Amino acid sequence: MVVVPPVPSSFSGGTEAIALVVLLTEFAMLRAPTARSQIRLYAFQSLAVSALAVFVAATQHIDELYVLAALSFVLKVVVVPGIVLRLLRGTRADLAGSNRFGVATMVLVAIGISVFGFFVVGNLSVHSHSLPAPAFGLATAVILVAFLLVILRSDVVSQAVGFFSLENGVSMASLVIAAGIPLIVEVAFLFDLMVAVVVFGVLMRVHHGRGRTLSTEALDRLRG
Amino acid sequence: MGWALLVIMTAPFAVSVVCYFAPVQICRGLTLASGVLTFVLAVLLVPAKTTTALSGWLRVDALSIVFLIAVAFLYAVTAVFAIGYVLPAGGNGSAARYNRRFFAGLNLFAWSMAMAPLVNGLALLWVAIEVTTVVSALLVAIDDTDSATEAAWKYLLIASMGLGIALFATIVMYYAGSSVFGGSYELFYPKLLGVAGHFAPEVVRFSFVLAVLGYGTKMGLVPVHTWLPDAHSEAPTPISAMLSGSLLAVSFYAILRFYQVTVRAIGSTFPRNVLLAFGVASLVLAALYLARQRDLKRLFAYSSVEHMGVLAIGMSFSAPIAVVGVLLHVLAHAAAKGTAFFGAGSVLRKFGTKDMSRIRGGIGALPWSGPMLVLAVLGLCAMPPFGIFRSEFLIVSGGLADPRDVVAAVLIVGVTLAMLGLSWFTSQTMLTPSPEGVVRGETSVWIVVSMVIGLAALTLLGVHPPGQLSDLLHRAAGELGARP
Amino acid sequence: MATIELAPAQIQVLQVLTILLFAPLVSGGIAHLEARLQGRRGPRTLQPYYDLAKLFRKETLVPEDASWVFVVGPMVAFMCYLVVPMLIPVLTTFPLPLGYMGDILGGGFILALAGFAVALAAAETGGPYAQLGSSRAMTFGALIEPSILFITFTVALITTTDLPYFEAAAARSSLSQAIRPAHLLVALAFFLVVLNDTGRIPVETHASTLEFGMIDEARTLEHSGPLFALLKWGSAMKQMILYVLLVNVFVAPWGLAGSRSLGAVLLAIVALIGKALAVGAIFTVIDNSFSKLRLFKITEFMAAAFLLAILAVLVLDLGGG
Repeated sequence: MVVVPPVPSSFSGGTEAIALVVLLTEFAMLRAPTARSQIRLYAFQSLAVSALAVFVAATQHIDELYVLAALSFVLKVVVVPGIVLRLLRGTRADLAGSNRFGVATMVLVAIGISVFGFFVVGNLSVHSHSLPAPAFGLATAVILVAFLLVILRSDVVSQAVGFFSLENGVSMASLVIAAGIPLIVEVAFLFDLMVAVVVFGVLMRVHHGRGRTLSTEALDRLRG
Repeated sequence: MGWALLVIMTAPFAVSVVCYFAPVQICRGLTLASGVLTFVLAVLLVPAKTTTALSGWLRVDALSIVFLIAVAFLYAVTAVFAIGYVLPAGGNGSAARYNRRFFAGLNLFAWSMAMAPLVNGLALLWVAIEVTTVVSALLVAIDDTDSATEAAWKYLLIASMGLGIALFATIVMYYAGSSVFGGSYELFYPKLLGVAGHFAPEVVRFSFVLAVLGYGTKMGLVPVHTWLPDAHSEAPTPISAMLSGSLLAVSFYAILRFYQVTVRAIGSTFPRNVLLAFGVASLVLAALYLARQRDLKRLFAYSSVEHMGVLAIGMSFSAPIAVVGVLLHVLAHAAAKGTAFFGAGSVLRKFGTKDMSRIRGGIGALPWSGPMLVLAVLGLCAMPPFGIFRSEFLIVSGGLADPRDVVAAVLIVGVTLAMLGLSWFTSQTMLTPSPEGVVRGETSVWIVVSMVIGLAALTLLGVHPPGQLSDLLHRAAGELGARP
Repeated sequence: MATIELAPAQIQVLQVLTILLFAPLVSGGIAHLEARLQGRRGPRTLQPYYDLAKLFRKETLVPEDASWVFVVGPMVAFMCYLVVPMLIPVLTTFPLPLGYMGDILGGGFILALAGFAVALAAAETGGPYAQLGSSRAMTFGALIEPSILFITFTVALITTTDLPYFEAAAARSSLSQAIRPAHLLVALAFFLVVLNDTGRIPVETHASTLEFGMIDEARTLEHSGPLFALLKWGSAMKQMILYVLLVNVFVAPWGLAGSRSLGAVLLAIVALIGKALAVGAIFTVIDNSFSKLRLFKITEFMAAAFLLAILAVLVLDLGGG
């Protein structure tokens, strides 16, 4: 006897679709050929997460989340991509050759890891008032694919964007299960991450300055 | 005593800001003063009951004080060492700029590490540890060589990813709590510990594993330790000392806080098994890698990984005496590893290289710091009368009382392997005749003084820990759920 | 005025005739639109009919080493393309009698048989480009299969059947069904599959005959005369069938006849042609906006289609979706 999964409400379906967009953007980062497209994908992903925050704020009547959504929009969609793009302005470097494996292989591995994430999280039977429960599984998949992005791409921009998108995944997860977390704490998280972003940017610049390249292929001097 | 917390929160930060602009001599003096002040305040807090400040945002209990002492002690002693190690420079040239940035960074780093045991709640704990990552990454890169940049990049990337996982763990724990507290609450420790029994077990398990993975990255647990040897060896030596001695301990403190909540929620079997797995991996791998090191500071970095493994294994024993041993080990390791790195710095200044194949006759060339370095290494190998012997003795006796006593055997074998690696180094570099051309004499008296203080503390911990300190350790073990 | 009711069998035949007769029109309309977008005047919309008529009058040349497969292949393909419209919702919302003959898998099988027959006929000829085209077509066809399978699974999970009629009904039933993530994903995945199977950018250049990049186009290089006419007509019919599937099942399942009255059915025919032309227009815009992927990068395209299809299934499995 086959059980038909229940049809989600329009709101559920719509927000889950946005959560899916976040995950699909993460997959798109696996193949981004240039630094600029990589960063634009991150800006787009942050936009989707901010949109989700606005939806949660509207339906759960948590006014603090509006502030958070606005802050995260300004910081993650405007400021951070702006800073990183400016830091990269002097570089003519293009990321096309930095995949360790072919794109199709990476996508398949990423799918495998996402399935693993879905099953692990599925056992937790997450219940949420704010966003549909599958969004938590999708957020976990975003985190896992972000790890893959860092491991499988050998250039500093992809690795940095991998870390930033990991934070997007955690934000989305927190929207599902911790939507009411006090604003002070959320703002502390956000500003802490912004400082980390600045340091990342500085180190990217230093790295590029030393080696004239965005590739991390040469970073094998320290071994054992 | 709440004022003490406020002073610790403000003084090092203020000194850091001043150091960025002040003349170099003032920087050094202020750093030393701030370090000593923090340590004195930490010692004053030892007998106190649970203290809070800032309407509950800062809170210290016995567990926090133990780690605060580890941080503060190393802060003070490293300040002494740094005065001797970092070449002084006047005026406004690049050397002076380096000095100013270095000391500003050192104070900021110590401040962030001191904040972690001070703050109340898992969320602020994460924030504090993220700040330590950011500051220390800049400090690792401060020497501006190719390998320093590489090490800093690797460190920042891996540690940040790990802290991302740790943030995820914090949020999952928040979710576990929201079943009791509803949508919006602070993650303060007393609140969590009070009701942890009602949390959903699978959620807490998930959160704990994520926390060990995430904070374990910063602690140096295998397999997420890969940044550690690079970062600790490429950083300037005073920073290496603080990284190995204090920062790893503070990351362990974060794991212990999660452990505290998890044990109240689901009992201690699962968390202990998780810690056991990571601990054994760290100990064995580090012990094996120790033998093939060529770089002096990298050797000590792997020794840190080994000791972190010992800490994790110690927590996996159910006997309360093992937990007391673990906490004592944190303090003893801070003293021993600090002294070892100070000695390495002295050797580095003298011989101009970290490559062990080019260093010979350390004892001959360095009449004071040479023998003291040998003693520090012996201390790291858990020789009596030093503190690490006492702490590992406590851990092993706890382990032998455990039904799974084979783990204690693994612990002993691992530690012995590490000892072999370390003693090979000692005999090769220190106990050989001095080469010609090397002038006998110390580079700086400050370095010697710092090592003397470090060794004295280590010996004190080993021979007769002060009564109040013992009492503190027992209270802290009690808070972790082990009733001695 | 009494409404004239058509018998189900008549509607079924009408479905086949619609595809048969109007496929070249859709083809011509797309070619015309493409030319207009590029600033040219372009061929007239009815040009494919004239081409087919001309080809039927020409003589057939058969390569020396080819066997009966060369002649029979195009005919088999054409017949398959005549069978498939009976199985899919071309004109009506309700399944017609022979519609239960085959489900999505059955329809897919028949389409694959058609492609196989053409490829076999091409490989038979011994001409290098024809063989190249047929081997590439088979390879990429195999690579897109997992995506098609997972699309079928999604339909099965949503409707507990794998008949396209029920998926269309589900998509029509409510807004929440239409915007549910699984439905959006599967529509997008099928869109990519159609891009691949009709040989459009980014998989293949439809307009020209760049031999190094040709996949589908190369298979028909060696045929001539009426056989070539059958192949062209067949490929136009296949294009329209795929458009019908995309539009009437996944994307815009409105405008189909709800009853058997003649008026509703005629309206459905007009709506169908309109929708097919609209889809063609979208494909044309894509043609002009993107460039063809290099051959070994087509696997990226396949991986993207697979990703969408498998996510559709996973999202349903996670609950709700």
